[in-house]
Amino acid sequence: MTACPTCQEAVGASEQFCEACGAGLSPTAVAPEPPAEQSTLETPVPGDLGGTAPTCQACGGEVSSDGYCGTCGARAPRLRDHFTEQPAPWVGAVSDRGIRHTRNEDAVALAADPGPGSRAVLVVCDGVSSSVDSDVASLAAARAARDVLGSSRSRGMGTPSSLVAAVIARLEAATDAASEAVLEVSRTPKGIAAVGNPAVANRTPGNPASCTFVAAVVELDLLVVGSVGDSRAYWLPDAGSATALTLDDSFAQEQITAGVPRAEAESGPHAHAITRWLGIDAPDHAPTTAFMTITEPGWLMVCSDGLWNYCSAAQDLAALVQQTVSTSPAVAEPLALAGALVDWANAQGGQDNITVALARIDPIPPREEARRDG
Amino acid sequence: MADFTAEVYQNEFLPDGGTDVHAIVTVTCTGAGAAGQAGEGDAAEIVIVDTSGSMGEVNIRAAQQAAAAAIDQIIDGTWFAVIAGTHEARMAFPAGRSELGMVQMDSAGRAAAKGAVSRFRADGGTAMGTWLTMAARVFNTVPSLVQKHAILLTDGENQHETPQQLTAAIEAAKGKFQCDCRGVGSEWQVAEVRRIAQALMGSVDIIPTGAQMAAVFESLIRKSMGRGVASATLRVWAPQGAQVSFVRQVAPTVEDLTSRRQEVNALTGGYPTGSWGDESRDYHVAIRLAAKGIGQEQLAARVQLAIGDTVVAQGLVKAMWSSDDTLTTRINPEVAHYTGQTELADAIQEGLAAKALGDDATATAKLGRAVQLAAETGNDEATAKLKKVVDIDDPNAGTVRLRRGVAKLDEMALDTASTKTTRVKK
Repeated sequence: MTACPTCQEAVGASEQFCEACGAGLSPTAVAPEPPAEQSTLETPVPGDLGGTAPTCQACGGEVSSDGYCGTCGARAPRLRDHFTEQPAPWVGAVSDRGIRHTRNEDAVALAADPGPGSRAVLVVCDGVSSSVDSDVASLAAARAARDVLGSSRSRGMGTPSSLVAAVIARLEAATDAASEAVLEVSRTPKGIAAVGNPAVANRTPGNPASCTFVAAVVELDLLVVGSVGDSRAYWLPDAGSATALTLDDSFAQEQITAGVPRAEAESGPHAHAITRWLGIDAPDHAPTTAFMTITEPGWLMVCSDGLWNYCSAAQDLAALVQQTVSTSPAVAEPLALAGALVDWANAQGGQDNITVALARIDPIPPREEARRDG
Repeated sequence: MADFTAEVYQNEFLPDGGTDVHAIVTVTCTGAGAAGQAGEGDAAEIVIVDTSGSMGEVNIRAAQQAAAAAIDQIIDGTWFAVIAGTHEARMAFPAGRSELGMVQMDSAGRAAAKGAVSRFRADGGTAMGTWLTMAARVFNTVPSLVQKHAILLTDGENQHETPQQLTAAIEAAKGKFQCDCRGVGSEWQVAEVRRIAQALMGSVDIIPTGAQMAAVFESLIRKSMGRGVASATLRVWAPQGAQVSFVRQVAPTVEDLTSRRQEVNALTGGYPTGSWGDESRDYHVAIRLAAKGIGQEQLAARVQLAIGDTVVAQGLVKAMWSSDDTLTTRINPEVAHYTGQTELADAIQEGLAAKALGDDATATAKLGRAVQLAAETGNDEATAKLKKVVDIDDPNAGTVRLRRGVAKLDEMALDTASTKTTRVKK
């Protein structure tokens, strides 16, 4: 045991921050490796999203093998165009094509433990629409990252700082896996996009698949996020101030950093140009990470720009969530709320694909003793 | 086994409130094989030759040679017969005045049939309805037939029957066999013979002189023997609440199929197309839909080719409502081309009919429009034939003057060629 140079409180040799005052420390020992964790989080069975719904949404008729209703001729939505995930009742997501776009290039993948507020992984990827097969790439990326993040957990990790470091390391490994999945799609274009998609026929090697990446990991009261591109994570507490946990890698964000007001920057001509992404032509894909401690009940939201285009500021989004939740008790569940927010974005015009993933944190999970004891 | 493909040409984008979808569907058959060789039934040919008195010595000799040339082209194993037509129908081969029947082609039958046609004599009148009725009965004597084709030659008007009698005979023969019709010389009525050909899914054309007859017969039978797919149906599915405005064959000739619709199911109509060889046919399908909102997409039609109950090719006609004028105002070149070609056929026929009635003003206007359309759509054959009937001042404006002393043969050649279309230059 040594003492914190700032407040003289006793600190562990491997700790990077003082537990008492938060000051940075110079660790004199390497944190112990986390014990190998065998159990994995609950993950939904990956569905085959390549087909269409068997029944017409417009008239209830039977959908023909050509993808159109045999009665009214309505184009049957591809399963990929609208899908949900819900590994546990307190974690749910909806991904939707929106109105303007012809296919859903967003993707989401989730994992969670059954206990409310215990452990969860939420990953959203937004395929870059000018690239081919980006709908295939984004789904492969999201699922690859979710599988890495959901396959181990950091229980009994020793100190909080070593726990953060361990989760960040897992996030980086998850981003590597997501990136590799995107590269794999560029090497071998897959089938989902090929069905009736003229872009595939006009495949150009100069336009490889690419997508954004954002992942959030809930480890009891610890929340860690990592992102590449302009998909976002928000912490929206029931009371208190809402926080955007990620910073976009975008032209708009560069302008905001340079002093341009957010509203102006995000409506500018190149607002949606992203400066970092996952893909064969990406300069690097290291996620920008951040973490926080959850101290009050609230919503963790991970979403694509199809939602935040209509409601960017954290406090506005928090207000939207509160207002939506207040409309009906049924909407207070994560999956239903995600669906309601997707509907809301579609009602605003649905100019882009919309993906909303939510985890409901209530009650606050207790801090784990192992972590406190070090 | 024959392979069929279907390709769709259309502008699927409709403006807000738009309801009408037009598409050209090209159906192509390859590997058709020879008639009667698919193992699903036999093929049969009947040669019907006008032996009325008006044929005269020269044309009867030409008809004998032409029938012999046709017989030479019939593949061994094909059932066949020859009918000599006057004001009544007579079995010329197989011989026997009272018994109807057919024989399967072999070298002995070929020689015997040639002997029979060499005994044609010009005598009597013309009653084409009785010829058709006998042909249907003759085909009916062989139960194994799946593909029945006839060629009919005439040289004159249908004088020994009323138009009603002919109509009744055509109606009775419809669907029983296909019939290509040819008129020799200039004394026959194009409209009358076209009526037969259209109802019996065949072609109509003029043979200006008897000397050309043998080559025409030879080519007609050779083509028929190359149709290895006995029968196929064009199917058009349209969504509930939609209307099929029309279905036309537009290449190689214009044939309106709309009235041939037979219900396959509540949403699907079947249009018989007869037999197929290695060839492409283009169909113009027009559908009227209930308008949907901007951004919505739906299927306007499934256009299929079916052999029996088996769909062998399908093209999808789509509708997508858009607020983008650059998309919705785009005119599909194939649709525009064939719309023009269909109007061309009508303009020629209506112009010639007006000219025959002495209505020079209507004739000049219609034939002027025809000249314009032929120029626009690059139909050089129509242009060449129109030039023999009118003097063209300005083909782009459609300004023409009716020529005086036009040969009747030239008018008839223009009339029979009116439904022949050219394909879109790709």
